[in-house]
Amino acid sequence: MQIYLPIAELSMNLFFLIGVGGAVGFLSGLFGVGGGFLLTPLLIFSGVPSAVAVASVTGQVAAASTSGALSYYRRGGIDLHLAMYLILSSTIGAMAGVATFAALRAAGQFDLFVSASYLLLLGFVGTLMMIEAMRTFLRRRRGIMIPDKLPSQHNWMHGLPMRIRFKKSRLYISVLPVLGIGLFIGWVGALLGIGGGFILVPALVYLLRVPGNVVVGTSLLQVVAMMCVTTILQALTSQSVDIVLAFSLMVGGTVGAQFGASAGKYLRGDQLRALLALLVLAVAIRFGLTLVLPPSDPFSMAIAAAGAAS
Amino acid sequence: MRRLLLALALLLAASPAGAEKLASTVSTPNVQITSSFDGATLSLFGTIEPDTPGIPLAGPYNIIVVITGPLQDRVARLKTNNFGIWTNTEQQSFKQFPSFYEVIASGKLENVASPEVLEAEHIPPVDQAQLTAVGGDTPTALRFGNELVRLMTEEGHFEVTEDGVRFLSDTAYVAQLTLPSDVANGPFLAHTLVLKDKQLVAERTEGFSVRKTGFENFVFVASRQQPLLYGLVCVALALGTGWLAGVVFKR
Repeated sequence: MQIYLPIAELSMNLFFLIGVGGAVGFLSGLFGVGGGFLLTPLLIFSGVPSAVAVASVTGQVAAASTSGALSYYRRGGIDLHLAMYLILSSTIGAMAGVATFAALRAAGQFDLFVSASYLLLLGFVGTLMMIEAMRTFLRRRRGIMIPDKLPSQHNWMHGLPMRIRFKKSRLYISVLPVLGIGLFIGWVGALLGIGGGFILVPALVYLLRVPGNVVVGTSLLQVVAMMCVTTILQALTSQSVDIVLAFSLMVGGTVGAQFGASAGKYLRGDQLRALLALLVLAVAIRFGLTLVLPPSDPFSMAIAAAGAAS
Repeated sequence: MRRLLLALALLLAASPAGAEKLASTVSTPNVQITSSFDGATLSLFGTIEPDTPGIPLAGPYNIIVVITGPLQDRVARLKTNNFGIWTNTEQQSFKQFPSFYEVIASGKLENVASPEVLEAEHIPPVDQAQLTAVGGDTPTALRFGNELVRLMTEEGHFEVTEDGVRFLSDTAYVAQLTLPSDVANGPFLAHTLVLKDKQLVAERTEGFSVRKTGFENFVFVASRQQPLLYGLVCVALALGTGWLAGVVFKR
C-alpha cells in the first residue's frame, strides 16, 4: 500500500516503512540505543532525501526510546538524578552541534565529514566494546564467576572535585565528567543526526562505572530528551521533518522496542554488549567502505535550492 | 526568463508565417496529490486547424510535445580518489534546471524535425543543462551537464519518447504523459510543436499544475508557516505513540 509523504514529496510503501521501523525499534529496545545510525542510512538508500531522512528519524527514535524507557522505568532501571544532569548538558551540546552543522555545510565536504566521523566513532567504540565483551566471555568460559555489577574500581575521574551522590547508580562521583559526556553526546548527536545511545552506554559503563541494571534505561531516557529537542530544532531550521514518514516509522518502532526490551531480559550483559559491538562495527565498516571503495557512479547530483518558476 | 523570452520571440515570429494553427488541451489541468498518490497519467491532445477556415490542410504533420516541470537549482558532483579516499572534488551548478523534462514525439526526432529546429527549440534534454549551467558553455559544464541528464534519466525524471504521439486522424493527435510518484510539486508547461517537412508550422504552450490537496497540503503548509507548533506536534506524537505502546504491552 503506497502512502504519500508530503514533506519528502514522494510515495512509499506503508508496510515497508512500518517493517523497517519495527526492526530498528527491536534493536533499540534490546540495546538501549536509538537506532538512528541504522535507520537514517536505510531510508536514504530507499530514496528518501537525506535532509528529510535525518530530520524524520529523530521523531521515530524519540518514540521508540519512549516505550523502551517506560518499560525500564517500570522495572526501576532508570537513574533519574543522573539522567537529569545528562539531559541538561546534552541540550546545550545539541545547540552547539546545530551551529557546527551549519558551519560545516557552508564549508562543503559535509558528507565526507559524516562518513569519516561515523567510521572513527563507531569503529573506536565498537572495538572497545568487542574487546571487553570477549574478555568477559572468555573468563566466564574458564569458570571464573564475575559479579553482574562491575567492580567499583576507581579511575582518575573519581578524583575530580564537585562530587555528587547518585543513589540509584550507587555512585559518588564528580559532576564534571557527567556534564562533559552529556555535552559531547549532544554535540555529536545534532551533528550526525543520531541519538548517541551507542556512545552513551559504553561511556556510562566504562568511564562512570554506572551499574548494568540502570545503564540502558538511563541512556534511553537521555535519548528521548535529546531527540525531542533535535526534532524541534530541525522543524524550525531545515523544515524537513516529515510527520507522515515519522509516524509510520513510529508505529513499527514502538512495537518493536517492546519486544526488544523483553528479549533483552533473556540475554546476559556481556552477550548484549558483544552483539551491540558487532552491529556498531558492521555500520563502521560500511561507512569505511564507502570512503575507500570506488563508487558505482562517480557522479552524483543534489538539489541546491528549489527555485520559483521563471 | 531567458528561455521564456526566447519562446515568446519564436511564437511571434512563427505565427504570421504559418497557415496552420493548433488547438490543444490537457486532460487534467490540476493534478491533485492525495495520500494514495502514486504517480499520474495525463493525456495531451489537440487538432491542427487551418488558420483561415475553408482552406484544406496538406499534411502529413508531425508533433513534438515538450513537458517541463518546476525549476530547481541543482548541483552535479564528481567523486575522485585522493590518497585512497573517495571525495567530492569537482562540481558544477545549474540554475533553474527543470526537475522534470519529457519529450514526446510522433517519430524519431531526426526524422520529425530538422537539426536547426531541434537546436532553436532546445529540444534535446542535454540542451537544458547547457542553458542552465552556471558559468556558461565551458567544457566542464558540457561534461557535467551530460552526466546530470543521465542521472535524471535514470531516476525517471528525464525522458524522450519517440513514438509517444498517436494520430487519431490526419490532424488530430493524442499523447500520454506519465508522472512519477516523486514528481516535484508546482507549475508544469507543455509546449506542443507542429511540424511539416521537418519545419515548424505551429506551436502552443499549455500549463498544468501538480499540487498537494487536503491533509497533505495542510501538513506541508503547517511545516512552513508554523514550524515551532509543527515540531511540538511531532514531539507530542512521538511521546504519545511511545507511551501508548508501553501501556498496550504492559502485562
